[in-house]
Amino acid sequence: MTLPPTLSVENLTVSYPVRAGTFWRPPTFLTAVDEVTFAIAPGETLGLVGESGSGKTTVGRAVMRRVNTSAGRIFFRGEEITQMEGEPLRKLRARMQLVLQDPYTSLNPRMRIADIVAEPLLVHGRVKNTSEARDHVRALLDLVGMPADAHLRYPHSFSGGQRQRVGIARALALEPDLIVADEPVSALDVSVQAQVVNLLQDIQQRMGLSYLFIAHDLSVVRHISHRIAIMYAGRIVEIAPRERVFAAPVHPYTKTLLSAVPIPDPKIQRTRKRLIPLGEPVDLANPPPGCRFQTRCAFATDQCRVTSPPLLERSKGHVAACWNF
Amino acid sequence: MTLTVRDLHVAFETRGGRVNALRGVNLSVAPGETLGIVGESGSGKSVTAQAIMGLIDLPGRIEAGSITWNGKSLLEGDGYGTSVWGREISMIFQDPMTSLNPLMTIGAQICEVLTQHLGMTAEQARERAVDLLAAVGISGPRRRVDQYPHEFSGGMRQRAMIAMSIACNPKVLIADEPTTALDVTVQAQILDLLAELQSGLGLAIILITHDLGTVAGLCQRVAVMYSGRIVESQSVDAIFERPQHPYTQGLLRSTPRLDEPATRLLSIEGTPPSLMQADDGCAFRKRCPIAADACKEMPPLVTEGAVQIACHFPGRPAWQARQAG
Repeated sequence: MTLPPTLSVENLTVSYPVRAGTFWRPPTFLTAVDEVTFAIAPGETLGLVGESGSGKTTVGRAVMRRVNTSAGRIFFRGEEITQMEGEPLRKLRARMQLVLQDPYTSLNPRMRIADIVAEPLLVHGRVKNTSEARDHVRALLDLVGMPADAHLRYPHSFSGGQRQRVGIARALALEPDLIVADEPVSALDVSVQAQVVNLLQDIQQRMGLSYLFIAHDLSVVRHISHRIAIMYAGRIVEIAPRERVFAAPVHPYTKTLLSAVPIPDPKIQRTRKRLIPLGEPVDLANPPPGCRFQTRCAFATDQCRVTSPPLLERSKGHVAACWNF
Repeated sequence: MTLTVRDLHVAFETRGGRVNALRGVNLSVAPGETLGIVGESGSGKSVTAQAIMGLIDLPGRIEAGSITWNGKSLLEGDGYGTSVWGREISMIFQDPMTSLNPLMTIGAQICEVLTQHLGMTAEQARERAVDLLAAVGISGPRRRVDQYPHEFSGGMRQRAMIAMSIACNPKVLIADEPTTALDVTVQAQILDLLAELQSGLGLAIILITHDLGTVAGLCQRVAVMYSGRIVESQSVDAIFERPQHPYTQGLLRSTPRLDEPATRLLSIEGTPPSLMQADDGCAFRKRCPIAADACKEMPPLVTEGAVQIACHFPGRPAWQARQAG
């Protein structure tokens, strides 16, 4: 028996209205996510990488049903949730949780740590009041490596890394099947980043949950992901098992991105060849025809300028969308 | 033409107590040299830059120490500082969106610098502004000069900021996290630009960053800050090959690298101490695996040739060699 994927997404498209229509003029839309397809198996981490404006955060919000999808379908453990509403949606939300980027703004400064972690339990009616949740909260705080006296203190008395641990404890309270982590370590210092990444990995091994790990930093994503998806201007250009992305990248954008990541070694860094994207970033309100990367790609041909390349399999589990490679 | 900082102490009086942001910083930069200042948040790297630029304002105060340019103090109230800041020593900031005035064209903002500091006429300033935009790699500078910041992409805005900072032919450029807000592909281009300007104009650059990768490519010398002090300063090759201070060693091993196998990330346990707690010992000792009784006393910054280090046990390996798996 094979389990259905924890999350699978087919041709997901999300458009935001950028200018309201009038009697004469139709409204204008910005397509932030354009026909994105991927799946995450139970216990797996998919790293979703892209630069600002690539649509990675919108994908995360769409799968959590926090923004409406314009087209495409979302499945959670085999069940379609694209149009789910009301009580079933409420129940569903207990099974997918979000960890946010900034631990300074994502915790309410007026709530004690115990109340922050117990809140999801209260909201979903698992407990009647905070004191009933006390043991559970303590176990959770212990699991994420918070000091024993943390539960009575307020967020301001903790460092960024510890606050992020609280955010993770809160996300784990309802024992979700999926955690969407949107840049969970970008705001943290290097020496603390590693602590949080390792914690997320340990928790996954213990509880078998899946992660959609959204980030812009390839060197961090590589450590936590089983597979990595690269997004550019609203589309996925490449998905591959993590080592394939680094050993055998196919898409020119992936290659450009990899070559730009600085390596902390002066001898290597001074002599490295870098690929510089041409021209200016894509205007999403007015994307180019064909491949989204064609205006910046050194290898673009006439075909790239007319027709958008499909995601084709290059080796087992490795797909890329490029006409030339 | 050297900039020298000696035993600089800066403190901020806050409602919560006194924050000792800098506790004896020593550094100097020579013409044509690039000095990297690396540290985590709260280590005092930005405060150092602000102090050099005369930007420390109440509740902050320079308590002790000296900052000299060409042997003359910048801190005396005789107007020497004001004649140097913005001219011979200039600065670029992290976020180009908030450092540019959104209501003024890019050209007007550059011209303001030129007319104020160099006494140029409006026509001269405009011509020079166009040249400067071209010099920092902005295509179509004649058209761009009349555009507003919102019409520029993030990378272009940072280029405009750099154009403004080199407008008065500075000798020293202080760059405080110039690429942190930018995407990696853009970051690479901005770092290339800084390297070009450095060799072309013979600039001395102080690059302040938390990212060791950024330092590796651009800097010749690196100073590592921890908790308001410089703990180690060496040539860039030496610091990456033979880090002396346990903190530098820890920082290097916890920085994820794209060119190494994706093993479990290594971290430095614990978090930096609060700057409010006055402590006479080495600030790193609570996180340091080789701390001993001697570390309860502050190690002085000892200079040996080109190496400066503040540790009782310099060069001793603090962590086991990196293990695979």
